[in-house]
Amino acid sequence: MYQYSEQDHQLLLERVAQFRGQVERRLKGDLSEEEFKHQRLRNGLYLQLHAYMLRVAIPYGLLSSDQMRTLAHIARKYDKGYGHFSTRQNIQYNWPKLEDVPDILDDLAKVEMHAIQTSGNCIRNTTSDPLAGVARDEVEDPRPYCELIRQWSTFHPEFNFLPRKFKIAVSGAIHDRAAVAVHDIGLRLIKNDGGETGFEVLVGGGLGRTPMIGKTIRSFLPKQDMLTYLEAILRVYNQLGRRDNLYKARIKILVHETGEEKFRELVEAEWEKIKTSGLFIRDEDFAWIKGFFKDPEYENLLDQDGNYENLLLSNLDFARWADKNIELHKQSGYRIVYLSLKTAHQPPGDVTADQMDAIADLADKYSLGQIRTTHRQNLVLSDVKLKDLPALWEELAALDLATPNYNHVTDIISCPGLDYCALATARSIPISQAITARFDDYDYVNDLGDVSINISGCINACGHHHVANIGILGVNKKGTEVYQLTLGGSAREDAAIGKIIGPAFEADEIVDAIDKVLSVYLENREDPEETFLTTYRRVGQPLFKERLYG
Amino acid sequence: MALQVYTASLLKEGLVAYLTLENGNPSWTPDIRLATAGTDSELEALKLAAEQSELENHVVAPYAIDVLETEAGYIASTKREQIRASGPTIRLPQDAVRASRKAA
Amino acid sequence: MDSYIKDRKAEGDEWMPFTGLEESSSLPTGDIYVPLEEWLKSRESLLERNGRLGVALSNTDDPALIKDDLDRLDLVVLEFPKMADGRAFSQARLLRERYGFKGEIRATGDVLYDQLFYMQRCGINGFELRNDQDVSNSLKAFDEMTVTYQPASDEEFPIWRRED
Ligand code: HEM
Ligand code: SF4
Repeated sequence: MYQYSEQDHQLLLERVAQFRGQVERRLKGDLSEEEFKHQRLRNGLYLQLHAYMLRVAIPYGLLSSDQMRTLAHIARKYDKGYGHFSTRQNIQYNWPKLEDVPDILDDLAKVEMHAIQTSGNCIRNTTSDPLAGVARDEVEDPRPYCELIRQWSTFHPEFNFLPRKFKIAVSGAIHDRAAVAVHDIGLRLIKNDGGETGFEVLVGGGLGRTPMIGKTIRSFLPKQDMLTYLEAILRVYNQLGRRDNLYKARIKILVHETGEEKFRELVEAEWEKIKTSGLFIRDEDFAWIKGFFKDPEYENLLDQDGNYENLLLSNLDFARWADKNIELHKQSGYRIVYLSLKTAHQPPGDVTADQMDAIADLADKYSLGQIRTTHRQNLVLSDVKLKDLPALWEELAALDLATPNYNHVTDIISCPGLDYCALATARSIPISQAITARFDDYDYVNDLGDVSINISGCINACGHHHVANIGILGVNKKGTEVYQLTLGGSAREDAAIGKIIGPAFEADEIVDAIDKVLSVYLENREDPEETFLTTYRRVGQPLFKERLYG
Repeated sequence: MALQVYTASLLKEGLVAYLTLENGNPSWTPDIRLATAGTDSELEALKLAAEQSELENHVVAPYAIDVLETEAGYIASTKREQIRASGPTIRLPQDAVRASRKAA
Repeated sequence: MDSYIKDRKAEGDEWMPFTGLEESSSLPTGDIYVPLEEWLKSRESLLERNGRLGVALSNTDDPALIKDDLDRLDLVVLEFPKMADGRAFSQARLLRERYGFKGEIRATGDVLYDQLFYMQRCGINGFELRNDQDVSNSLKAFDEMTVTYQPASDEEFPIWRRED
């Protein structure tokens, strides 16, 4: 992974010192809350329902074991012993004190981490494919590009006070595991007919109250032009994005109101003027940045192992886990392992400090010392030898991190909702727990196959409910929490916004409603291979509506 | 007019607090049951005291909420404020893990 | 204006704003700046004056409108109506980098300590601080950070392309 230079370290130290100054000025009263808010938000510090909340950046979801240990240490020392991994691959702490935040940032800086631009109207942490560099369906490793974007966007002096927040995602594979179509900018690595690498550039995706799928404004952008093109898009947005209405300030609205064609012209015209500027990426720049993401020295291994295969036959739990939570690796004899953060008793994405430490140890022992965070709020060990799987599984099971449910019905994305969030209109974690409790049966989960449920506690859609096969949005109706269902969304390469199916359900009805939706699917699928989404797209809403409201 | 109390977040800790006013002296408590409640004109005094605390950088963003008087003391009347007053309604992960270990 | 910084030093401000409502006969002598609209309207007569001239852009004006006049101007005034409104950062870079303006680019409005670093990187070198800002303290803001990653008006290349 990327190794900090002296200057990178220097920048973090200066940033911490600066924030320490800002906190001191605030505590002394020299900064008003209004002014400080802009500063703390640029450092990922929110004031939430119960306490401050600190969001720490995990650049494109990549963590070393030492970084994970530091996250554990922070959870233990400054918080209540846990952290929350978010759909944007970051981690959030729910209980830090303002006075402690500079010290937390100091501890983070020691392991090359920070909270820079994790909130506020600036370019946020770039997200990517958690299987970057190891996936079999990869066109090219997106991480070097992500790192260039990270550096370009960090404290960008022109784009630090944008109309609204700005999120960029990069995917390098055939299958989209980074939800690029619902980001302000989504970059898809592709090859053109000449075999050159470049990007399909999507702009104007986003969720919130006006969900939109990104529009392709350029079908092939040579990779050398990535940063100049991003700069052109951001410059157009900074100048023309709406600032009169918070809800219309995202770039998706600009693209929508300007029209795709006109927007493209504006960007291309700006780009013409800067495409040969200092941001043009030369071959030697690529060579330098790619050097940080070289393949590790994999051993030459057979893609089979007697022990592993025996255990598959003799241990049902192991076989289930292997079936659900393991993915093929590009390297023979290796596997990618998902650590499920979805159990019936822990909120989705939450991990305790003890678990974090243990995961760090497992990464050292079995997976070259690295961990990735995923958009679906799970973790990944990306380079595990086939022959180590039995031992790893045993340890994961003891840590309660081996629920066999990856991409299945109980692998629920959930935002913090009204249990933590000041903006929430309803709770989301208890709903996710109730659903998990109801369907917590392996055979049923297995039979349902690939299906996604996402829950948001308000229209801001941090839980990505619009792009779930089954989305749940909590709203407040005359003082009670009710839940609206959307069906048919997808966050993958076939991205789609789900449609609201009808009137909302009470909290004690929603699990039954989900149950009905799932049974309609089971009864109508053509064969067990047909996924929920395919069936839904084939049969449409009426059958579901009838069962739910008929 | 409904009975109200003033609430805010403590600047340093970020934690939820409620205003009590005794003989004109303001202080902030985490316990909503100990808050000073008022209507109309009493509320005006609470408002001034809350704003003063904000000016003195003791609390952030004070506002009034409706409360109900029960035998156990005041409780907030909306779900949001009830959760703010008593914390997340779910088991925090540390405790949840402990409980699941015990059960296993 | 006493809270004014020019080229990283506290300075007295010699410029007079001219709104366009005054009679041109009653214009003060010395250095004046006018809103873009007035500049476009009275350019010729303004150019006959002896003092230096400046133009004030609102943050929705396209700086290209004055690009051909820049060698006759000594000041361009940009506005930051509130801290969160960062449109003028782009205007500043365009003036400096694309149109090669050499005179003073001045930030006015909600000009606060924590933006000075970014403003300077975008080519702004004059700062009318908001009244409550402390000038000598604000001077520290320019050096709080020494590492920069991306090109801007002060650097042609990103950090990975610089010789060090
Ligand atoms: C707890 C404090 C949080 C606050 C105050 C907050 C606030 C918001 C707001 C206001 C929006 C809507 C923005 C818009 O429409 O322009 C939003 C969107 C979003 N947030 Fe959060 N959020 C929080 C937590 C989270 C968490 C925990 C996650 C990840 C699980 C998250 C990920 C996202 C995502 C993915 C979106 C949708 C992206 C989009 O709008 O295009 N946020 N958030
Ligand atoms: S969706 Fe709403 S409730 Fe959930 S975290 Fe985002 S802002 Fe909070």
